[in-house]
Amino acid sequence: MPVSQSCLVCQNIDCKSRGSEQLAAELQQKIAAKGLTDVDVKPYMCFGACQEGPNVVIYPEKNWYAHVKSEDLDDIVAHLAGAPHVQRLDTIDSSLKELIYQLLDTGVF
Amino acid sequence: MEGILFPKGVVEGREGLKEYQARGGYEALAKALKGSPEEVIQVVSDAGLRGHGGAGFPTGKKWQFTREAPEQPRYLVMNGGEDEPGSRKDRVLLENLPHLVIEGAVLGAFAIGAGKAYLYINAKYETAIKSINDALSEAKAAGYWGEKILGSNYDLDFEIIAAPHNYVAGEDTAVLEVIEGRKPQPRQKPPFPVTVGLFGKPTSVNNVETLANVPRIMLKGADWYRGFGTKDCPGTMLFSLNETEDVNTPGIYELPFGTPMRHLIENCGGGMKDGKKIKAIMPASPSSAYLPADKIDTPLDPNAMRDAGSMLGCGVVHIVREGDSIVDELVRITEFFAAESCAQCPACQMETKSLAMLMKRVQQKQGNQAMLDQFGKLLAFNKGKGFCNLIAMPGPPIESALKLFPADFQALLPNA
Ligand SMILES: Cc1cc2nc3c(=O)[nH]c(=O)nc-3n(C[C@H](O)[C@H](O)[C@H](O)COP(=O)(O)O)c2cc1C
Ligand code: SF4
Ligand code: FES
Repeated sequence: MPVSQSCLVCQNIDCKSRGSEQLAAELQQKIAAKGLTDVDVKPYMCFGACQEGPNVVIYPEKNWYAHVKSEDLDDIVAHLAGAPHVQRLDTIDSSLKELIYQLLDTGVF
Repeated sequence: MEGILFPKGVVEGREGLKEYQARGGYEALAKALKGSPEEVIQVVSDAGLRGHGGAGFPTGKKWQFTREAPEQPRYLVMNGGEDEPGSRKDRVLLENLPHLVIEGAVLGAFAIGAGKAYLYINAKYETAIKSINDALSEAKAAGYWGEKILGSNYDLDFEIIAAPHNYVAGEDTAVLEVIEGRKPQPRQKPPFPVTVGLFGKPTSVNNVETLANVPRIMLKGADWYRGFGTKDCPGTMLFSLNETEDVNTPGIYELPFGTPMRHLIENCGGGMKDGKKIKAIMPASPSSAYLPADKIDTPLDPNAMRDAGSMLGCGVVHIVREGDSIVDELVRITEFFAAESCAQCPACQMETKSLAMLMKRVQQKQGNQAMLDQFGKLLAFNKGKGFCNLIAMPGPPIESALKLFPADFQALLPNA
């Protein structure tokens, strides 16, 4: 099945120090366990919101989850499988979101 | 031509204590110690000396602020972090005119009332560190620093600090962090070092070249200094003409402010190699706007450069040759800033990395118009969001290149 959504997990120094590598690996496992073959997990350099990281941006759907912890991953995976988006993790300022979404829309990533 | 720093033009070869004394070395110090620190500040202010480390802040004012800050003790820090690609003006001074630099540092320390001065020098500059170290020994033996300098009541101690060689380690508050034993990461400002600096005390951070100007200003007076350069920007500056294959005689040249840029390139630099034509000039590499070739007569002066749409910075003049790709240049520049960002400000990380990634895509012919539009947006969004000015530095090169050479970018878009 072709990939329909990507989970971009930021991996710059800051968020790495908050465990974003481990988080990406766990997310990958949970997605596989749920049988979501059209979703992949990719590293992203930095979204400019390190204080609110680790961040997971779901693209092209454009949902941005901040302060993501291991405990949040089940809800995110449920969302990927069709449940409504996880409101409590949606805390990022809209102007930053817009900037990053525009950047992603150029196809740079 | 007579210079201020190098009376006979930039010469290589270390000047020892005897030679320096033979041309009036340390006489300015003797003169200053007979008067008051305020008088030193007054002469430097009257001369109109500005910082040569990039920002051009008036040195007399910086010293006055430091001197008037209530806390004690106060510190002087000489900034020889110099790690800008293509710049080696401070190295040339430290290696060849160590006593001029040291006399300038003693005068600065006396002016602000510091009992200790730190000489912060790029660790890669081994010859410079040795030269300064040897000169410190000679100068101490001669009574030019230490206790009761030249019989006065003024005591001063020196310490050399080897600076980590990354670009941001030259930013003044990163310098203070290193001296305090931490990583080279800029501090949030305000407070500025003149009030809360090294170990939390008032500190004047001065560039090597700035300090090297002080002895002769003290000795010969403000009016003599004002005989060089322009009314608004008196004095001279050391210009680094890029060390690549562009001009026939690259090097470091001391020129009065206001000299037409053409003189630097054609007379000092001997013109372009192999008769190549100039496509653009970046007067303050790597962080200023490009100027088109027809601006070659712009005076080398901060105001004239600003009016022309660029800046003078610390005088690393870089030439782009006809036929060179501006996008290749910008890939180098954006990758440099992405690598040199110290990573503590999220906006700086995101901006510098995104700019570098976009530029690389464009260079690899994987770009599109929407990507070209992102440069300006990223820069505008992140403006002022860093602890230091590095976050703003990729802006002028990119934005000027997009404006001056749109065809260079368009030619790389896949559907062009
Ligand atoms: C990223 C960055 C790097 C800098 N590197 C240097 C440097 O290597 N040497 C220097 O004198 N100033 C450097 N500066 C400027 C210093 O912060 C400071 O303005 C200067 O040392 C003050 O000296 P001046 O008043 O004599 O110019 C840098 C600034 C920034 C933002
Ligand atoms: S703006 Fe960039 S280089 Fe400057 S302190 Fe912030 S992260 Fe470091
Ligand atoms: S590393 Fe996570 S947003 Fe910067």
